[in-house]
Amino acid sequence: MMRSVSLLKLFTAVVIVCAAAGVATAQTPEPTRREAIEQEQAEKAKNLHPYVLTTTERVLNKFEDITVNGVMKWHPFFDCAYHGCGFSPGVGYMAHVSPYNLLDMRGNYSILGYKKIEAEFIAPRIFQRRGELSLLGGYREATQVAFYGFGTDSLRSNRANYLFKQPYASGLLTLWPTRKLLMLRGGVEYSQWALHPGEGSFPSVETVYTPQTLPGLGATINYLHTQGTVGYDWRPAKDYARRGGYYGVTLHDYTDNDEQFGFREVNYEAIQHFPILREAWVISLRGLAQTTSTKSGQQIPFFMLPSLGGGHNMRGYESYRFRDRDSLLLQAEWRIMVNRFMDTAFFYDTGKVAGRTRDLDLDGVTHDFGFGMRIHSPFSTPFRVDVAKSPEGLMLVFAGSAPF
Amino acid sequence: MLPSSSSVVVRRRLFVPFVAFAIIVLASAASTQRQRFFADDPIAREPESQDAAKAAPYEIKSIYEMVSNLFGTSGYTPSGLRAKELNTVDEVPDSNWFTNRIGTTPISPEQLTRGPNVGVPPDPSRWVLTREKTSGAHPGFTARDAKGETWFLEFDPPYYDEGATGAVAIANKIFWALGYYQVESFITSFDPSKVEFDPKATLRRPSGARTKFTKDDMNSILERVAKKPDGTYRVVAGRLIPGKILGGYLFAGTRPDDPNDLVPHEYRRSLRALRVFGAWTNLTDLKAANTLDTLLTENGRTYVRHYLQDVGSTFGMCNDEHEWDLSHEYFVQTDTTRKRLFSFGFALSDWQTIPYPEWYPSVGRFEGDRFDPRTWHPQTPTTAYMETRDDDAFWAARRIALFNDELIRAAVRAAQFSDPKAEKYLGDVLIKRRDKILSLYLTAVNPIVNPRLDGNGRLTFENAAIAAGVAKGQPTYRASWMIFDNATGATKPLSSNDSQTTTLAAPAGLPTTTGSYIEVDISADLQTYPTWKEPIKTFFRRTAQGWQLVGLERLPEMVGPEHLLEREKK
Repeated sequence: MMRSVSLLKLFTAVVIVCAAAGVATAQTPEPTRREAIEQEQAEKAKNLHPYVLTTTERVLNKFEDITVNGVMKWHPFFDCAYHGCGFSPGVGYMAHVSPYNLLDMRGNYSILGYKKIEAEFIAPRIFQRRGELSLLGGYREATQVAFYGFGTDSLRSNRANYLFKQPYASGLLTLWPTRKLLMLRGGVEYSQWALHPGEGSFPSVETVYTPQTLPGLGATINYLHTQGTVGYDWRPAKDYARRGGYYGVTLHDYTDNDEQFGFREVNYEAIQHFPILREAWVISLRGLAQTTSTKSGQQIPFFMLPSLGGGHNMRGYESYRFRDRDSLLLQAEWRIMVNRFMDTAFFYDTGKVAGRTRDLDLDGVTHDFGFGMRIHSPFSTPFRVDVAKSPEGLMLVFAGSAPF
Repeated sequence: MLPSSSSVVVRRRLFVPFVAFAIIVLASAASTQRQRFFADDPIAREPESQDAAKAAPYEIKSIYEMVSNLFGTSGYTPSGLRAKELNTVDEVPDSNWFTNRIGTTPISPEQLTRGPNVGVPPDPSRWVLTREKTSGAHPGFTARDAKGETWFLEFDPPYYDEGATGAVAIANKIFWALGYYQVESFITSFDPSKVEFDPKATLRRPSGARTKFTKDDMNSILERVAKKPDGTYRVVAGRLIPGKILGGYLFAGTRPDDPNDLVPHEYRRSLRALRVFGAWTNLTDLKAANTLDTLLTENGRTYVRHYLQDVGSTFGMCNDEHEWDLSHEYFVQTDTTRKRLFSFGFALSDWQTIPYPEWYPSVGRFEGDRFDPRTWHPQTPTTAYMETRDDDAFWAARRIALFNDELIRAAVRAAQFSDPKAEKYLGDVLIKRRDKILSLYLTAVNPIVNPRLDGNGRLTFENAAIAAGVAKGQPTYRASWMIFDNATGATKPLSSNDSQTTTLAAPAGLPTTTGSYIEVDISADLQTYPTWKEPIKTFFRRTAQGWQLVGLERLPEMVGPEHLLEREKK
C-alpha cells in the first residue's frame, strides 16, 4: 500500500513536471538556426589565434625562400675540383653586391682529397639584359687524376695517377645579341698548372713515364687561355630540355709563357632533342668533336689533351679513361617522362680518341650503354643517377646536372 | 550497520524532486538539442555575428601547398560526410564565400557579360606603373590608370595571343554567375608610349631589395608578351579588391583568427563543387595563391570575404604551351607514375593521344570530345576536391545546366577575341563539356528537385535529369509519407503511393496543426538509373499558409565510396 502511494506521488510529479516543461517550452521563443550558429561563432571568438605554421610548412617555406625567391646566402657546393674527384661536399656563401650582381665564395673537399676554393663575381644583366659577365678566381688541387696512355686502345691496367695544383683567374662574357637563340661567348683566363706525383693506389705517372715520353710531365706551365664561342641555342633551358637544340663551335687558344706547351683547340658541339608522343618520350642526341693543334715547335701537355670517360660523356668508363689529340663523342638518350619531376632514360655513348683529326671516324669506337633516373625541375636537373655498362664493367654515376 | 529510519525518509523525500528535475533537464534538452529543424530553417544567409578584426595576414606558400597536396592530400581518405555549409534544404546559403546567383535569379546574357563589373572600366590613355604584378602565372604590372585607380594588368604570352587575357575575362564571368566572389576585370590596352613611372615605384630584385622601377624593367616584361601590330598590348585589368588583404585560403580547415569561419573548408560545398566547375572550365590551378581573403568593415563590423581571385588558368591556358598532361593528371600521381615507370612510357596516357584538330592561340589545348569529367584532374588535389560527393556534384551540375547555349556564348564574347572562329570553337567546347557533366552528375543520384506540397495536399516536383534532357524514359515515382516528430526525429508511417507523373496526392491523415511536420521520401524507378531508387528525404512544416519545405536530404549524412567522386578514377 505504502509503495502504491509513493508511485502515485511520483507519477503525479512526473505529469506535473512534464506539463510544466511543455508550458515552459511553449512560452520560450522557439530557437533558431541563426542563434545556434551565432552561439558557435561566439564560442570560437573566445579562442582565436593566429595561423600556426607546422614544422613541415616552416621548412618548406624556407626552402622556397632559398630556391625560388633567391635569398640564399649559405649554400651547398658539390661542384668538384676535377672530374673523378668522388663525393665532394662543400659550402658557399653568396651575397648580392647590387640588385642583380652577386659574389659567391665557395669551396669543397672531396673524399679523394681534391680541393677547390674560389670566388666568383656574376653580373647577370649587363648590356640591357643581353649579356652576363663572370669573373672567377681560385685555386684547385686534384690528387689522383687518371692517365691510361694515349688512344682508345689504351689498357685499363696501365693506369697511373698524377696530381696537379692550379691557381686561376678568369673572365667570361656571354652575349645574347637578340636576347635569345644566338649566343656569343668570349673569355680569358690566366692560370698555372703545376704537375706533381699522383696519390692513390695506382702508380704515379713519373714512375711509368719520363718527360720525353709524356709531354708536360713534372712541368709547371703558365697559360694565358683565351676562348670564343658562337652558338645557336633554342633549348628552353640548358640543364633540362625536352625540345630544342644547341649548335656551337668554340675556339680555345692556350699560350704558354715559356712557349713550350702552347696549342689550340676547337670544339664542335651539336645537341638536339626530338620530342615524341607529346614529350613523354624525348630522343636526345649529342655529338662533340674536339680537335687540337700545336703551335710551332711546341707540344700539348698530356693532361690538357681531349679525353673521354666519366659521368658526362662515356659513362661506362672512368674519368679521363681515353686521351689523345682529338676526340669524337656521340651520345643518344631515350628519355621517358615518369611525372613532372622525374625522368628515366636509356642511353648509349660511343666515341674514340685519335692522334689525327682525319682518324675521327667510326672505326674502332668504344661504347657503353645504360639506364638512368633523373629528378628535375622545368629548368634544371639537380639529381641524376646513371648505371652504365661498358666492356670494362659497370659504372655508377651520381651527378647534379643533366648529361647534356 | 542498518540505516536509520529518518535517513530513509529523507531519501524518499529527495527522490521525487530529483526525478522531476532530471525530467525537466532531459525534456528541455530534447526540445533544443535534438530538434532537427529550427524556426528559421531553411536559412538563406549564413550568419556572421562576430567581429573578425583580429584576422591577420598570412601567406600559404606555393611549394608547401604543392608538396602537401601531392604527397599528403592525394592519399587522403574522404570522410564520406555531407557538406556542412548547407542549409536544411541542401542548398548553399549566401555568405562571404558564396552568393546564389544563377539558379535563384534569372541572368541575362547582358548581365553575364558584365559579370562582377559594377564600376567603370579603366582609362588606358595613361598608365602609371607602381610595381610588379603580385599574382598569376603570366607577366604583368600593378598600375594606375588615367583616372588614378589602381589595377593589376596581365598580358598574353606570345604563344597564347589573346588567350590568357581572354580566359580571365570569360572565367571571371562564369564563376561570378556560379556564385563566387570575383575581381572586377576588363579587357583593355597598354600603350608603352603612354606609360609613366610612379616616382615611388619599386621592384623586388634578386638581392631581396626593392629598387626603383625602370623602363628597362618594363621592357623586360614586354619582351615576353604578345604585341599587337600597332605596338600596343592587350591586357586584362583587374580592379584592386577593397579591404585589407589577408592572403589566400586553404581548401581544408578554418581560419583560426576568423570567429565566423566555422565550417572546415573541405566541408564547404562551394569549394567541393570546384571539382565540377573546374572540370567544366578546366580550372586546373586550384591553390591558395589563386584565392584571396580580405578584411572588410561595414556598419561598424569587420568580416572576412573570400575571393576565388585568379581563374585565369582555365580553358587551354597553361603556364607553358607544352604542358600536355595538364588537366589529365596531377603533377605527380602514383598510378600514372608507376605505369610509365614500369612500361617505359609504352603504356600511353589519354593526353598523349587526344587530337586537337583546331588550334587557336586564344584558346589553347581545350577540347570536349574526349573530355571525361571523371578523369579530369587539377594540378594538385585539394582536400575539398577529395571530399566531393555525388550530391555535391549534382548540386554543381544543376548550376551548370542553367548555362544555356546563349549564356555560354555570351560569356565567351567577354573575351573579345579577334578571331570569330576561336570564339565559336571555345563556346562549342564549353557546350560539349557541359553536356557531359550533366549526363554524368545529374543522373548519378536521385535527381528529384523542387518538391512542393500545396494546401490541397498535392505533391509536385521535377526531375532535373529529364528536364535537362540527359535522361530518357518514364520513371515511376513513389512517395512514402510519414508523420515526423521534429523533437525526436521519430517517424510514423502513413502510407505510400506511386505515380507516372511528377505529381502525387497526399494521403489522408496529414496533420493540420501549425508547426507539425511530415517526411516524404520520394524515389524514382527507372531501370537505366538504379541509384534513383534511393529516395530523397523531404520534410515539410505545416504553417498558417500551408506546407513549407524545410528539409531535403539527397544522400545520407555519411556515404560509402560508391557516392564519392574519388571512385571515378579508380
